[in-house]
Amino acid sequence: MTELATLARPYAEAAFKQAKQSSNADTWSASLSFLAQVAQSDNLIRIIDNPKVGKAKATELLLDIVQEHVHGEGKNLLKLLVANDKVKVLPEIAVIFEQLKANDEGYVNVNLTSAYALSKAEQNKYVGMLEKLLNRKINAKVSVDHALIGGVIAKAGDKVIDASVRGQLQQLAKRL
Amino acid sequence: MQLNPSEISDLIKKKIENFDAPPEAHTEGSVVSVTDGIVRVHGLSEAMQGEMLEFPGGSYGMALNLERDSVGAVMLGGYQHISEGDTVKCTGRILEVPVGDALLGRVVDALGNPIDGKGPVDTNLTSPIEKIAPGVIARQSVDQPVQIGLKSIDSMIPVGRGQRELIIGDRQTGKTAIAVDAIINQKGTGIKCIYVAIGQKRSSIANVVRKLEEHGAMAHTIVVVASASESAALQFIAPYTGCSMGEYFRDKGEDALIIYDDLTKQAWAYRQISLLLRRPPGREAYPGDVFYIHSRLLERAARINAAEVEKLTNGQVKGKTGSLTALPIIETQGGDVSAFVPTNVISITDGQIFLETGLFNSGIRPAVNAGLSVSRVGGAAQTKIIKKLGGGIRLDLAQFRELAAFAQFASDLDESTRKQIERGQRVTELMKQNQYAPMSVAEMGVSLYAANAGFLDNLEVKAVRDFEATLLAFMKAEEADLMAKINQTGDFSDDIKNGIHGAIERFVKAGRW
Repeated sequence: MTELATLARPYAEAAFKQAKQSSNADTWSASLSFLAQVAQSDNLIRIIDNPKVGKAKATELLLDIVQEHVHGEGKNLLKLLVANDKVKVLPEIAVIFEQLKANDEGYVNVNLTSAYALSKAEQNKYVGMLEKLLNRKINAKVSVDHALIGGVIAKAGDKVIDASVRGQLQQLAKRL
Repeated sequence: MQLNPSEISDLIKKKIENFDAPPEAHTEGSVVSVTDGIVRVHGLSEAMQGEMLEFPGGSYGMALNLERDSVGAVMLGGYQHISEGDTVKCTGRILEVPVGDALLGRVVDALGNPIDGKGPVDTNLTSPIEKIAPGVIARQSVDQPVQIGLKSIDSMIPVGRGQRELIIGDRQTGKTAIAVDAIINQKGTGIKCIYVAIGQKRSSIANVVRKLEEHGAMAHTIVVVASASESAALQFIAPYTGCSMGEYFRDKGEDALIIYDDLTKQAWAYRQISLLLRRPPGREAYPGDVFYIHSRLLERAARINAAEVEKLTNGQVKGKTGSLTALPIIETQGGDVSAFVPTNVISITDGQIFLETGLFNSGIRPAVNAGLSVSRVGGAAQTKIIKKLGGGIRLDLAQFRELAAFAQFASDLDESTRKQIERGQRVTELMKQNQYAPMSVAEMGVSLYAANAGFLDNLEVKAVRDFEATLLAFMKAEEADLMAKINQTGDFSDDIKNGIHGAIERFVKAGRW
């Protein structure tokens, strides 16, 4: 069973190439996030999946819902997705598009989780260290998790840098 | 003497003080599905082929299918505690196992963990299980013998150090018995042995280990166990684990012998894993690379030259070649050696020893079919004495096979035919040997000489083995010097020949049997 990500990738890459050509990546971003929200509605999915509702009607319905929130090229993508029965994949398309956009603009989204709330100065210090490590600008999202006991964990996509006390205790347990 | 409680906590405190764990960076993914030991993990974009993945609860898996957005991994061990959404970490290490001299005498599982209850294995060296075989230039041709200790094998189908000799036969024909006798006979020769048990009953493996201990063979043996109740992944990697342990000795300039018992079950385990990973099935439902799993395993059994050993040991060991001899075992169904996996392995190895049920049932044990068995290394791997005498034996048996159909009409045949049949019957009887009683070169030499020189022709067929046993006891008691000399040099000079001839003549004349 192919993953949703694999199904979404060609669409996201095509959308991104188009965005670069037309230089409207931010508009695309906004359109796609709106479309992703729309596609997550259960009622809508049920209607689109209903065989009695033909593709023409479904397209009409969707275009009616999005109206001005999605730009012209976005509407074309929507029509394409309905024709290929891939409307459900929209949330994944939005995610991959954001990744491609971030890569292109040279920044990375990082989730910085710390045991106790960080002061601005400490935050900037961590962001500086991570920027040097990952060699890119950092878009940090900070959160607090007391279960870490101390220190921080930084997550960027798949990569995880674990500098927390909880992580150290786990390593100690393994060594002993 | 026990450590008192404060000492123990002091030790731990010291360990904690000296503990230095830099923040670790790794890649993470999450489990999408768990089915029959195969785990699909989403993420893990930097996983390598064959990499060890760490699962919650301290279990490990091996990444086998690398797909666009997910990784298919096979669990090494139990998987009941893994649930969807669990975090999986990359370890950055290709699957590796402990190797070293400390493993000798131990029984370990497919990952190198000891299972004999004798405490942890005291070694720091590890080696990846998948390694590339030595190149063409690094090798040297095989010319040193491995004495299996069985007359029928050492005389007609000799095995050399660095050779791959397949033991193939139906169930219950004595394949494992040959392997165990080979291990027992390596005592004192400096050859380290590794016995890899794949998919066997634990009771059988326990029996083998006990027999090896009884005969003092465990001290130079490592036993790697992936029994029938263990996961298919462990049964699949066990031979590679054993091979890595054997390569440690080979790369040090020493000799090692490894026995894979048996590769048929490893092929079944691999077929199971491949089908669950949804790789397309081929002939007999085996995946397309079932030849490759055996060829890359058996190519690592080789003899490497002294220059290569020097390079691998960084100049520490000079002037010695290293070797790893492999005796893979394949079980056929209904004597069908033209099935898929048997033909694959026959084409990979340097010869095979065929064991037949018919021979076994008619009392010829070891049930070696000398006509169909072959060793492609041949005489280059025989001591001089066995080489000279083995030729005569082979010829006698070949001629006997030609005339076997006429054996019923023994009284109606001409003299020479009858003589040949009678000689063949006596040699066949001589080739029988008890289990766990491997013979030294000298004993074999004396036995074969007696047959070649015609000393058996006047005996009844039934009496041949008694004659041999008593003769060998006589030689041990009265001609110990001669026997020691033969064992040491393996020569067949006129001196030694006359010595043996004289001794047997005296034995017969004195009516000592």
